[in-house]
Amino acid sequence: MSDQIIVMNNVCKDFKVLNRHEGLKGSIRDLFSRDYKVVSAVKDVSLSINRGEIIGYLGPNGAGKSTTIKMMTGVLEPTSGEIIVNGTVPYKDRTRNCENIGVVFGQRSQLWWSLPLVESFKLLRDIYLVDKKDYDDMMELYRSLVDIEPILNKPVRQMSLGQRTLSDILAAFLHNPATVFLDEPTIGLDVSMKAKIRELILGLNKEKKTTVILTTHDMGDVDALCKRVVIIDKGEKIYDNDISHLKSYFGSYRTLRLKLADDTWEEMVIDESKTDIMEIITKKQKEQRIKDIELQDISTEEVIKKIYEGGAA
Amino acid sequence: MTLRRCIALTRAGITESLQFRLGTAVTLFGNLIYLVLVYFLWKSIYASSGVEVVNGMSFTDTMIYLILATALFNFLEMFIVWDMSRSIQSGKIILDLLKPMKYKRYMFWSYSGSHVVLFLLSFLPTFVVVMIVTHGAIPMGLNLLYFVISTVLALIVNFNIEMSVATICLYTESTWGINIVKETIVLLLSGASIPLAFFPETFRKIVQFLPFRAVYDIPLTVLLRKNGSDTPRGLLTLLGLQLGWAVVLTILSTLFWNHSVKKITVNGG
Repeated sequence: MSDQIIVMNNVCKDFKVLNRHEGLKGSIRDLFSRDYKVVSAVKDVSLSINRGEIIGYLGPNGAGKSTTIKMMTGVLEPTSGEIIVNGTVPYKDRTRNCENIGVVFGQRSQLWWSLPLVESFKLLRDIYLVDKKDYDDMMELYRSLVDIEPILNKPVRQMSLGQRTLSDILAAFLHNPATVFLDEPTIGLDVSMKAKIRELILGLNKEKKTTVILTTHDMGDVDALCKRVVIIDKGEKIYDNDISHLKSYFGSYRTLRLKLADDTWEEMVIDESKTDIMEIITKKQKEQRIKDIELQDISTEEVIKKIYEGGAA
Repeated sequence: MTLRRCIALTRAGITESLQFRLGTAVTLFGNLIYLVLVYFLWKSIYASSGVEVVNGMSFTDTMIYLILATALFNFLEMFIVWDMSRSIQSGKIILDLLKPMKYKRYMFWSYSGSHVVLFLLSFLPTFVVVMIVTHGAIPMGLNLLYFVISTVLALIVNFNIEMSVATICLYTESTWGINIVKETIVLLLSGASIPLAFFPETFRKIVQFLPFRAVYDIPLTVLLRKNGSDTPRGLLTLLGLQLGWAVVLTILSTLFWNHSVKKITVNGG
């Protein structure tokens, strides 16, 4: 199917890791050791992503997110299974695959450190062989989305983290790739910069129909950007569905807050599929007077936390 | 179309290295001190030998050779081993691997700009000064053209030696020792610190056919019209040797790199 841009079938990735021993004696022994253990970073993950989607790719630290992304970009070769990105097998034809993807790693920059931003853009334009017209159009689009004039002539090393991240995202979209991988793009940014970055990503996705794969630990990013969420834990895919379904993943949880007679709030998380909220309120009211009632939807963050903490079973 | 990429990378490299004026100046100053040391060292060597000409080279010959070798060293020196090991440790290498170019080619053209700058700022001034001070000890003619060709080949040989050593560091995950070993071997066997004419006979015969010589000794020999490089036959032998090594090393280091890159696992995330 042509609108499926990334297809992964039963992908596994194992790493061979040397068994390290403790202490000086152990270290010397390690020099000659052939004692490897196999660590499975990704186990049997299947996934298909459509053109133009923004996918939140979530999981606790060490879950295998980066490994999956590295396999999709072609830096790592899967131990078994099949990956097709935009019609090519990434690790077999890395160079060609790279023409069609963009990457942003929140903690590293692909920009030329000592050069003004515009020089980096021009260099990327030439490296990706972008036509002059396409480049100009893209710059025009950038101007309409963010205020880039003040940073265009600023060397990257003098930029604030927010400006640099913004620049890195623009750089990743510059050659109009079919897919962009964003690895924790809002890490370390302040609230207003985060909002700006999210707006920019949404705008670019809408204008260019770019598929965006977003890894993040910030649920604000997920809420603002993603319709679909994939969660991976210990190398296995444990959730793949709409974000709206996520909240009912453990049943339909809601938070009930009651203001009691002594002006304190009592908070309880209630699974509506099992317990009737009205019943709780009535029961409580028999004991004492309730001054106020609040009913809140559980936040994405709380759901994710529950999943990471092993509620998945 | 790859030409466009190469030119763009070279241009960026030039702009980038021009940002570090002070660094270049300090390097030049350091060289000056090194050359003073070399001057007095060889002056005393010649004084103690008691003869004017040692191993077919007079004191002036030796000095010209060594000064130009130093200048050439500044211009050809690469820091790929350092840069690569740093970008592996920081994980930045993934961003370079994700450029739509072969990594080795990308690296080569990323460095080419700084070579252009160093050639103009470091080698050329030294060359002119030596030329003026020695009143025509450097022959002026077609040898200059051959020297340029020879230097480009030297650059390619040096780049591939660097790349191979950097690739070894992928496995060892430590850089310092290996880099020192490489530097010492290259500087000694290439004739950059002692002219090859001073080596013992058998040793010299072996070194003659090693690739290191192609980095410093051959370009200088061609430039100074020594060792029969003023005859077409001698010249072709030298350039042929360089070309041969350039081709062999390019193939070997590319194979080695392609094999190794599959094994790297970039840490992060």
